[in-house]
Amino acid sequence: MSTDTTSTRSLVLEGQAPGRRRRATDIPLRRKPWTAERIAPYAMVLPVIVVLVVFRLYPLLLGINFSFTGDKELNGQFVGLGNYLTLLGDERFQASARNVLIVLLFVPIQVLVAGLLATFIFLKVPGHRFYRSVYFLPVVLSPIIIGAIFNIILAADGPLNQALGVVRIPGVDWLGLPGTALPTVLMVHIWATFGMALVIFLAGFATLDAELLDAARIDGANLRQQIVHVIIPGLSQTIQFVFVTTTIGMLTGLFGLLYTMTAGGPGAASYLPEFYIWKLIGEARPALASAASVFLLLIVLVIGLIQIRVLRRATKEI
Amino acid sequence: MKRRIATLAAVGIAALALTGCGGASPTGTSTGKNASDKLVVWNWGDADAAAKAYTKDVTAVFKKAHPNVDVEIVNQPFDQYYTLLGSAVEAGTGPDVALFNGGTQLKSRANLLVPVTDELAALKDKLAGWPAFQTDGQTYSAPMFLQGFPIYYNKALFTKAGLDASNPPKTWDELKAACSAILAKTDASCFALGNKEGLGIEFFLSGFGSGVFTPQEYDDWISGKRDWKSPHAMQILQMWADSAKDGWYNKGANSTAMFNDSFDIFSGGKAAMVIGLMSGTAHWKQFDEFLGKNLGFMMPVTVNDGTTLGLPAEGGIGYGILNKDKKDLGVDWIKATVDHDALAAYSLAGGQITSDTTIKLDTKITSANEIVAELPGSKPLLHTALGADTLDLLHRLGQQLLSGSVTVKDAVAQLAASEG
Repeated sequence: MSTDTTSTRSLVLEGQAPGRRRRATDIPLRRKPWTAERIAPYAMVLPVIVVLVVFRLYPLLLGINFSFTGDKELNGQFVGLGNYLTLLGDERFQASARNVLIVLLFVPIQVLVAGLLATFIFLKVPGHRFYRSVYFLPVVLSPIIIGAIFNIILAADGPLNQALGVVRIPGVDWLGLPGTALPTVLMVHIWATFGMALVIFLAGFATLDAELLDAARIDGANLRQQIVHVIIPGLSQTIQFVFVTTTIGMLTGLFGLLYTMTAGGPGAASYLPEFYIWKLIGEARPALASAASVFLLLIVLVIGLIQIRVLRRATKEI
Repeated sequence: MKRRIATLAAVGIAALALTGCGGASPTGTSTGKNASDKLVVWNWGDADAAAKAYTKDVTAVFKKAHPNVDVEIVNQPFDQYYTLLGSAVEAGTGPDVALFNGGTQLKSRANLLVPVTDELAALKDKLAGWPAFQTDGQTYSAPMFLQGFPIYYNKALFTKAGLDASNPPKTWDELKAACSAILAKTDASCFALGNKEGLGIEFFLSGFGSGVFTPQEYDDWISGKRDWKSPHAMQILQMWADSAKDGWYNKGANSTAMFNDSFDIFSGGKAAMVIGLMSGTAHWKQFDEFLGKNLGFMMPVTVNDGTTLGLPAEGGIGYGILNKDKKDLGVDWIKATVDHDALAAYSLAGGQITSDTTIKLDTKITSANEIVAELPGSKPLLHTALGADTLDLLHRLGQQLLSGSVTVKDAVAQLAASEG
């Protein structure tokens, strides 16, 4: 699913003399007839594009437009970048922005967990069929249920701390300390959603050429070399995809867990832009919330693009 | 292809930048739903069977006046009630009538509510607790119950700690000594606290306020002249931070839900004291079920000289009308909620200290009668005088002060800035 057309293009035009794009006998592009065959693909894609534009792109534009207007007394009036400036100076927004960086640190953990477990399943570890289904189970649970369960498990006098007490490790108020609240929620999120990444990795593995692995093994490669030189380059597209979707999932899908487990607290220690947007709407400041949504969109876009660029280089065949 | 996408994007952004006008948000309830045969009511649910019976009584009284109107009661979870209400109002799907806590929560949303000063004038003398539902000279609701923050204590734990159970602490130093004794001689915590929702600081501030602020400072605070950087304001926040540092509270207070986990800790005898409520829930009736004769009530302690102790109490909850096209139905709903018989029945069964001054609370629970005896000298709640933004900031700072991630000096600076 490469979106990089330039490399394909160069592959196709390889071998042809440079400068040779069209021959004199070619029909000039402008006068190619609009046959049914030419229109068909556009027509088939059109409904999806219409749906995307009407339900995704248009509301997005409306939202961005709305973020330039004011709240409460200034309802409907143009305030330019006023909302954005307010956000930059707001303590809760700054906390959210800092927390986004913490979230980014946890993305590789989820990818690693999913990737490693997928590798073992692929290598047909005993019980692999059982693990494959069990690992996906948390994904089907509602975040509210997961939050409620882990509220009980992670309570200061709850089962986790009791278990740690048995092995003489001091328990901690996981959800009540500013330093541990967000990481704890992120770990629960990883538990809840790594199954999806795992399944995507397994799909990626299915496209791996088993002969390459065999060849490497025959050439004497150990497990680490197999992983680094055969599996990772072969899975590079999958890894990129999982990284990006995991990041998006963490930045935009943590709301349910935050709501049930910490409500953004203690203080603003586990605020994320998504949760902050919701609080703003509840405080009757929808235009400010729109501005925060635009910030979130930009964050996700920029991070996603950087990730794709970095990962493409990192997972190339060395 | 790439160049084409880039130009498209540039054009799109330019178009956006030029369209930053218009797009006002609708507020209030949707104007389409004005069929006069339906009344949508929001509240935070019935805590027990007595509350359910009360809701039934109120609905019956309302139906007698409007037999053809369908009452739809929607229960929302309390911990996010106001955010949910705000979102619904923004989206135009708000209810016609919604339950509010008296004080900030109602007053800060007065612009969304329909004033009903004249319509409720006839009830003026019958009920107590009006100030919590009035602002800018207008009345927006009628108080159903009086709510306040009495301090309850467990007499059995006091005795176990070697303290005189019939003589609770009267000063801050006595309270500190009592807590040390309880922590040393029992394995209970001194106070039960649930600060997950951030409400702990509200209870602490309003619960102990009359022993910290002089009467003049107290009245100034209520009327809006608040100086967060004054010695007494900083003192009470310091007391809050120190109480956590001295280990008074159950472990993990910041991640314990106040309703109802912290009160269960007190009911279960795992904490010696708790700042509770007077009506509805987390109150004498609920604790009496578990602690019986061991349930004690104490007034706030004197912290500074020149203070006059007063039980913090004011009109607790009342319904506000959000949909002006359903004003008459709303007013009749409010009148139904303060119907004498409905209140009297709930007062007995549900443990409510009602706002109806003609109803006498008939109960054998000593703490309840002691609370009622203190009502004449009661003072309004300090935290309900704050604006909504400041109150929200106070919640977060309360959590941070507990975990030690902000100093009192920094906290009062932030609070002063948010009100300034």
